[in-house]
Amino acid sequence: MTGYFIFLGRTLPCYGVMIALGVLVSGAAGAVLVRRHRLVFDNFLLLYAYCFLFGMAGAKLLYLCLNIKYIDWERLLELEYLNQLMQGGFVFYGGLAGGVLGLLLGAKLHKIRIKEYLLTVVPVIPMVHGFGRIGCYLAGCCYGVPYDGPFAVTYRNIPYSLCDVPLFPVQLAEAVCNLILAAVLFVFVWKKGKTIYTVFLYLGVYGTVRFILEFFRFDDAQRGIFWGLSTSQWISLGILAGVTAVLLIMRRRNVKTGKISEKL
Amino acid sequence: MAVASLVLGILSIVFAFVPYMSLVGGICGIVGIILAVIGKKEPQKAGLATGGLVCSIVGTILCLIFYVACVGCIGCAVGMAQY
Repeated sequence: MTGYFIFLGRTLPCYGVMIALGVLVSGAAGAVLVRRHRLVFDNFLLLYAYCFLFGMAGAKLLYLCLNIKYIDWERLLELEYLNQLMQGGFVFYGGLAGGVLGLLLGAKLHKIRIKEYLLTVVPVIPMVHGFGRIGCYLAGCCYGVPYDGPFAVTYRNIPYSLCDVPLFPVQLAEAVCNLILAAVLFVFVWKKGKTIYTVFLYLGVYGTVRFILEFFRFDDAQRGIFWGLSTSQWISLGILAGVTAVLLIMRRRNVKTGKISEKL
Repeated sequence: MAVASLVLGILSIVFAFVPYMSLVGGICGIVGIILAVIGKKEPQKAGLATGGLVCSIVGTILCLIFYVACVGCIGCAVGMAQY
């Protein structure tokens, strides 16, 4: 694995190709769900664009914050150095936060009722993420612990990866989990419609998966470790705590009123 | 809006192939998509807006492919700093 492949004589980064593919496939899946639930496709496109723009910005911002001590500030005005800084490195939770902000901004600016769109297109998030993780696997970033079992991967000539050592394919493991989650959520939304429980299902499952898989990653220097856990593990714990708290509050309200309500 | 989306869409396609301009191209493409969707609301400019939408989507995808590498930056940047 070298992180690039040749297509029609041009060298293409694997990660970029997979992200682009993920955006296209998830956009199509989102469009199918939007039409199924009789929402306006143009509004979905608007919200998708805002979410994507702010999501990429958020993912990049969090990555730069975590790696701030490695940045050579004196070279920031060099075009090549700045381009390399901007090209690589994204953290998913930064993207999720940025994406949510983008959605809220887009909905506010264009007067769109965000709740019904958000609840309909939740499956899109793990779908894009799954493709992105396949990109990570092909590119050699976000690599796993040294491992000599089935599906081990060995990278060559990739400066930011651990080369010539068989590694656990943690990126593929997370990609598979994300794509399975996307499929489950897709069927859930298709059959059950717009329900807040879709969001809880996504956050609960992904938070748990991410927390566990982080133990199998070996690129600690680039992710930030605090008191034995990575940044993403702390965020996962926070999300799981938040989801649990909200579900308990909703359950208490439903018990009091005697009705099943999805309102927070 | 429709004309602006078409211009931004074409720019994003061009910038995808210009060194160091993929990020700018990607932003142009996404803004082009937003303007195209708004522009489609005017019936007389709907065709132009659709053209702008297609160009913006194509440009955004191309810029994504050429812009997004993964994690190479810090490692490469650190490596470059040593020379």
